[in-house]
Amino acid sequence: MRTQRIVPFNMALAAAAIGLAAPAAAAPTAETIARNCVVCHGPKEAGQLEIPKLANYPARKMTEMLTGFRDGQKEATIMNRIAKAFTDEQIAALAAYFANQ
Amino acid sequence: MTTRRTFLGASLGLGTALALPNLARGASPKVVVVGGGFGGGTAAKYVKKLMPAAEVTLVERDKQFVTCPFSNYVIGGIEKMQTITHGYDKIAKRGVKVVHDEAVGVDPTARKVTLKGGAVLDYDRLVLSPGIDFVWGGLEGYDEAAAEIMPHAWKAGPQTLLLRKQLEAMKDGGTVIIVAPDNPFRCPPGPYERAGTIAWYLKNNKPKSKILIFDPKETFSKQALFFESYENLYPGMIQWIGGKQGGKVTKVDPKSMTVEAEFGEEKGDVINVIPPQRAGKIAQVAGVSDEKGWCPIDPRTMESTRVKGIHVVGDACIAGAMPKSGTAANSQARNAAAAIAAMLEGKEPPEPAFANTCYSIVAQGYGFSVTGVYGATPEGIKEIAGGVSKLKAPPKDRDLEAAYAYDWYRGIMYDALG
Repeated sequence: MRTQRIVPFNMALAAAAIGLAAPAAAAPTAETIARNCVVCHGPKEAGQLEIPKLANYPARKMTEMLTGFRDGQKEATIMNRIAKAFTDEQIAALAAYFANQ
Repeated sequence: MTTRRTFLGASLGLGTALALPNLARGASPKVVVVGGGFGGGTAAKYVKKLMPAAEVTLVERDKQFVTCPFSNYVIGGIEKMQTITHGYDKIAKRGVKVVHDEAVGVDPTARKVTLKGGAVLDYDRLVLSPGIDFVWGGLEGYDEAAAEIMPHAWKAGPQTLLLRKQLEAMKDGGTVIIVAPDNPFRCPPGPYERAGTIAWYLKNNKPKSKILIFDPKETFSKQALFFESYENLYPGMIQWIGGKQGGKVTKVDPKSMTVEAEFGEEKGDVINVIPPQRAGKIAQVAGVSDEKGWCPIDPRTMESTRVKGIHVVGDACIAGAMPKSGTAANSQARNAAAAIAAMLEGKEPPEPAFANTCYSIVAQGYGFSVTGVYGATPEGIKEIAGGVSKLKAPPKDRDLEAAYAYDWYRGIMYDALG
């Protein structure tokens, strides 16, 4: 796991005020994060040839992939750098989001 | 109209999240977006998508969007202009009203945008995505006339073709000079990718030629990857003269085709000058840019910290750790659109999530990338994770990243204007 993580500011304030982990409500939703993913991964209308589509991607496999990229167990050109941004909870939420598209 | 504005003004006083005159009264909220590039196209498309009842108008001067991404491949002869030229028909079919005109005035109190053609557009929320303007004269000797002799090719279009034609006309054994700008500027890896694609053309057609990059900086984006690629692909052809070596150019002379740098003078056969930049002019007109020419924003909503009701996205805004790139503009615009839709519905804007990916291709089948994931903090947009491609990666990775660059291009064009 990462030791340093940037906490969005209302989360940071709330966490500082009550001395607890930040409430999940202030974090970006899976949909907000996922909209960044589809720029490269695309809906099929975008016509990508090499980068895998994420709609209906099996949740278990996506969790395994993202966790593997993040923790350095899976090789990648770029996803290893991106996956380091996400917590286990965010990975689970992303996997659930794409699986249900 | 007066009633609506009064109501809007009153509710604005209570906080922007409550500014909800139109929906409350059953009228459509009006969102005007100025600039039809990656930021503006994405903002218009997503506001319409998230809030179908909104009346969304996209104001864009040109009939076609010629992208800066991939324009270096046109300059290097790897791609044609057709690849990087796109229309506005698809976004128009999604219900965005596309107006080909130029925004020349903004009245943030009355919430009106004036167009060059004379039309006046009302808005509840305005998005400015004007990209960059050049600071003509910011580099001695470089003005609009000089750009016809020493092209910048930093806004894609006729300038891209001009630089391409000059390279085609150059003799074998000629010298190409690239004058790189100081920070901040559009597309931080761009000048160095361009050196690569020009070298690609020269290696295959005019192998005795050389490329000099004059740079006021000591470091730049993906530096080690660029140097490694020059060494692997074009040994001896590209020379970079950085700040410590006197690479800062102080004057250019289009008549004698000379650049004057701190270390001395150099003549070039083709000279590409990338001049100093600031936010597009409408940002100044609207009062959203600062004394340095860029636009401070609230990272949670991309709303200007100087003028309420105006959101600024893309190269024009000060986005903290995010570079001035097409992907950054696209990501900022999607988050701005979500904030705008929420604010118009009287809700709290959602927590944003930003990302950037920039691929550079320096030869056919040779690409690498920088990427970042970002979050909003009280000190601006900060990077959560990211980095550049590995050095000494196997050729298959470089080949794969070149292919991914094409997929990224397809994806972002679809997300922004498709």
